[in-house]
Amino acid sequence: MSSSTKEIENLINQDYKQGFVTELEVETFPPGLDEEVIAKLSKIKNEPSFMLEYRLKAFRHWQTMKEPDWAQLNIEAIDYQSISYYSAPKKKGDGPQSLDEVDPELLETYKKLGIPLDEQERLAGVAVDAVFDSVSVATTFKGKLKDAGVIFCPISEALQEYPELVKKYLGTVVTETDNFFASLNAAVFTDGSFVYIPKGVRCPMELSTYFRINAANTGQFERTLIIADAGSHVSYLEGCTAPMRDENQLHAAVVELVIMDDAEIKYSTVQNWYPGDENGVGGIYNFVTKRAECRGHNAKVSWTQVETGSAITWKYPSCVLLGDNSTGEFYSVALTNNYQQADTGTKMIHIGKNTSSTIISKGISAGKAQNTYRGLVKVGKGAENARNFTQCDSLLVGDKCGAHTFPYIEVKQPSAQVEHEATTSKISEDQLFFCQQRGLSAEDAVSMIVNGFCKEVFKELPMEFAVEAQALLGISLEGSVG
Amino acid sequence: MSGLQNYKVDYQQILPDLPGQSLAWLQQIRSDAFSAFSDTGFPSLREEEWRYTNISAIEKKLFSPSTNVGSNEIDQAWLDDFCLKDAYTLVIINGRFSKAHSSLKGLPETVTILSMGDALQQKPELVEKYLSKAVANEEHSFVAFNSAWFSDGLFVHLPAQQVLDKPVQLIHLVTKADCLAVSRNILIVEDRAQAEVIETFVGDSNAYLTASVTEIFVENNADLTLYKMQNEGDKAYHFGGTYVKQAKHSRFKHHNFAFGSLLARNDVHTDLDVASECNLNGLYIGVKRQHIDNHTRIKHIQPHAISKEMYKGILNQRAKGVFQGLVFVAENAQKTDSAMNNRNLLLSNDAEADAKPQLEIYADDVKCAHGVTVGQLDEKSIFYLKSRAIDEETARNMLTFAFANEMVGKVDNKELHTMLLAQLLQRFSQKSVDEKWL
Amino acid sequence: MLNIENLHVNVADKAILKGVNLQIKPGEVHAIMGPNGAGKSTLSHILSGKAGYTVTQGKVTYAGKDLLAMEPELRAREGMFLAFQYPVEIPGVSNIYLMKAALNANRKHQGLDEVDAMDFLTLVKDKIKLLQMDEKFLYRAVNEGFSGGEKKRNEILQAAILEPKLCVLDETDSGLDIDALKIVSKAINSLRTEQRSFLMITHYQRMLDYVKPDFVHVLADGRIVKSGGPELALELEEKGYQWVEGEAA
Repeated sequence: MSSSTKEIENLINQDYKQGFVTELEVETFPPGLDEEVIAKLSKIKNEPSFMLEYRLKAFRHWQTMKEPDWAQLNIEAIDYQSISYYSAPKKKGDGPQSLDEVDPELLETYKKLGIPLDEQERLAGVAVDAVFDSVSVATTFKGKLKDAGVIFCPISEALQEYPELVKKYLGTVVTETDNFFASLNAAVFTDGSFVYIPKGVRCPMELSTYFRINAANTGQFERTLIIADAGSHVSYLEGCTAPMRDENQLHAAVVELVIMDDAEIKYSTVQNWYPGDENGVGGIYNFVTKRAECRGHNAKVSWTQVETGSAITWKYPSCVLLGDNSTGEFYSVALTNNYQQADTGTKMIHIGKNTSSTIISKGISAGKAQNTYRGLVKVGKGAENARNFTQCDSLLVGDKCGAHTFPYIEVKQPSAQVEHEATTSKISEDQLFFCQQRGLSAEDAVSMIVNGFCKEVFKELPMEFAVEAQALLGISLEGSVG
Repeated sequence: MSGLQNYKVDYQQILPDLPGQSLAWLQQIRSDAFSAFSDTGFPSLREEEWRYTNISAIEKKLFSPSTNVGSNEIDQAWLDDFCLKDAYTLVIINGRFSKAHSSLKGLPETVTILSMGDALQQKPELVEKYLSKAVANEEHSFVAFNSAWFSDGLFVHLPAQQVLDKPVQLIHLVTKADCLAVSRNILIVEDRAQAEVIETFVGDSNAYLTASVTEIFVENNADLTLYKMQNEGDKAYHFGGTYVKQAKHSRFKHHNFAFGSLLARNDVHTDLDVASECNLNGLYIGVKRQHIDNHTRIKHIQPHAISKEMYKGILNQRAKGVFQGLVFVAENAQKTDSAMNNRNLLLSNDAEADAKPQLEIYADDVKCAHGVTVGQLDEKSIFYLKSRAIDEETARNMLTFAFANEMVGKVDNKELHTMLLAQLLQRFSQKSVDEKWL
Repeated sequence: MLNIENLHVNVADKAILKGVNLQIKPGEVHAIMGPNGAGKSTLSHILSGKAGYTVTQGKVTYAGKDLLAMEPELRAREGMFLAFQYPVEIPGVSNIYLMKAALNANRKHQGLDEVDAMDFLTLVKDKIKLLQMDEKFLYRAVNEGFSGGEKKRNEILQAAILEPKLCVLDETDSGLDIDALKIVSKAINSLRTEQRSFLMITHYQRMLDYVKPDFVHVLADGRIVKSGGPELALELEEKGYQWVEGEAA
């Protein structure tokens, strides 16, 4: 490898800044999973009885399933009995807490992560639900949102306050038998966010959930459910980090989005779980099922993700376009470095008439990483005039990494127009030298090129996250946003 | 008895009748292949490479070479429509070489063109050197099936620097109901030699199964152009595999025309050495309930190789077209230049197109692109033509014809070009059109 | 301005430059001509700091400093501009963004404030007229989809904006038709000042009809074998490179 290729790689390498551990008194289940553990979990959360039934049904089905092996991933066997399925900071009292009751250690943790939860320093215009290991520890701006009719709370709280609403939608987009990790999640999920935007309401602020895995030997299984009723609009963001540990930890989340007539959900993710060290030791296994159902006419869903963390990422945020004229979008930047592996993409299922979808996927591989785009565009028989445009580009940095593109295109309707384009290229030494000859440093040149490569996706992110995403990719801001 | 069991029992009966009985190495290949096939049966939808093509009908029904009894009378006039006048011709009828229909007149002595049966008798060492070397039984069980069952085929060997004056045409003809015609072909083009080969598959309207595997070796700086014309009968099942090893600086062009059969599956795999070049072109046209699956795999193993691929599909009525393409770039294959394209035209409500163009890249200094489109005829173009007083049907035919003719236009062989053009014009009739305009 | 003394350069252990001597004073225009493989491009690359070349002997001083010890971007900021023979394409990075970033990097080095966005736009629009380029080129990705001639014009446009002290033009005339050559030459001539120097590297005499050099040097087999005035280029055109290659042996 030439020196400047190495230089390019070094520029992409950054220390993991969120790798600290918070010392807390916690309540943790001993490792292991059986029906008793699930019953205990349901009890500790004081869940309505339908939930326990739901969980057990999922668990029984899960036991009959096998881990998927079709992805191009090299996964160490996971021992599901060695994981603890519940870990939570000890609470002082029962029930949901107000902010000033939250353990200062926790507040300090989120502050260190750049997510201040206390009243004065809150992110302006963003309501935050903070999920720490297995439970939600705080939710900001709940009152203000309630005034607008918006429900934004931990899903465990929603099960207490709005059980009927949860029951009506939970598991209707991703069923408890959908896939191995979704079934596991249905059996053991501990918390997550619940959002309901009533008819005609435009959510007055950005909603956001910040996930933090802290405890060792635990898995995080969160469940997010967002319902945008007719004519409503919401923008939701999630962020994720974890401490540096030598063991792999499992994060198996399920996200369900329901979008009714003329409603819109914009869902953004900046995923920065601990990726493991430069030798591939440790890191989070991020096996996530995310799906949106556009149930109404003119419904719109947009997934934007910036994936830089995790040892292994396995996720395909999908859009089921049931309603006529509904729209699905997927914008993704996935950066893999060292020994990271990512197998990610989307599914666009066109069922309604005049449905349209857009897929923009940008994969960057460095070090010894493997980055795979896997996507499905399916146009059903009734999906007259369906439109899809897919662009997936890969950028290679260094000569030990790989970039793979596996698109599946299935069209059963002649009036559909489906277009797929893909390219793979590298940051060349010639490009770098050219920029240097114009007086730019190698660092600025790389950031400019990476930024140029990703900008179609960054412009989809809400401003606050665009800043974070670019910082994650180690690139400067100038000229990129807007 | 299960379908698979039927095949196994039948095999034991026909085995003594297959060529090469005295060759121990070949018997070993056949018995290994038979056990590999026996373990798995025919490929199933669960296999990723077969997810869009259900061939359970083949397994349920017993196609057997033993149906090949009685006379091999054929309608020469009908066959003439598929035969080039100016070529070395080798004809296989119902899985067996027919000397009477073949013509190798004027073949230079240095060039070997034999039926596989004859090659195994006359040049067994040469066959042994190449058989099963371009594709392994593990590739999938259809290949194993072919290795075990093949009853004849075409063997071509061109010595170094030989430029063959005429194309070689293999006519593969099936005339019997329930017939199983399994052929194995080997083409070897030594250093700097040059050849043009045409594989033509035809058959009558009975249900039958063709299973053909062609192994190809294009040596240093050699040139091979291979045409495949698949015009099987409308109840036929067709499996064709073309597996190519390309040495340094070699060039391989493939033109794959899939028009016939009820269900067809075609594999084209090529492995590219340093600075070699391949062009894979395909045109598949499906009507009624036809199912046509094209599968290509280009492996860039060494640096500086170039691959260009364009497959086009036209699907009407209830037809289903599949394109699965993989471009694989090994760690060492720097400076790879690759472009893969698939374009599909859906002409009816019940037609379907599935595409899976894949890039698997382990090198960093490469230029790779792929594109897929699925759609119907451009309404604006139709409107434009109508505004010039052309009726709707003619307008649609013109545009569909133009879409297909791009692929026929790439055919350099004049006779073959005329033949293909005639077939296109028959399908998408162009009123009072002068051939020179096309 | 530039002083090259007995410069020997190897590429992968093969000697390409075998003792080049050249002195360029402020305001002078020098042309280096030579047959293919003489080492012309090596000279431009070694001056601009491209990796992959080993200097085995000799030195290069630029404005009194040791040029060879400087990073490529530092050379650029000190006013050395190379118009590439093959300018690269940078997908996703707009031309105007690159130029602004480059200009600011240069200004920062000179202790100046960053250029105001409006002022910059005025500047660019003024300069682009010089090259008779359409303004839409500003907003396209750097050189992506540009024709060979458009890339070369784009190089000179960047020179016009960065206002270097020394311009090294590497085969700028190649890929230009006669009209484009006239435009580019006119732009180069307008950049000539009392202080600014040029080093034109070219295979053909053609461009020298439009940009008159003060000195012409002939590079053959890694050495400058002949130097003279503009008349040397004409003589070379007439007699061919064999005429000087004999002297190199």
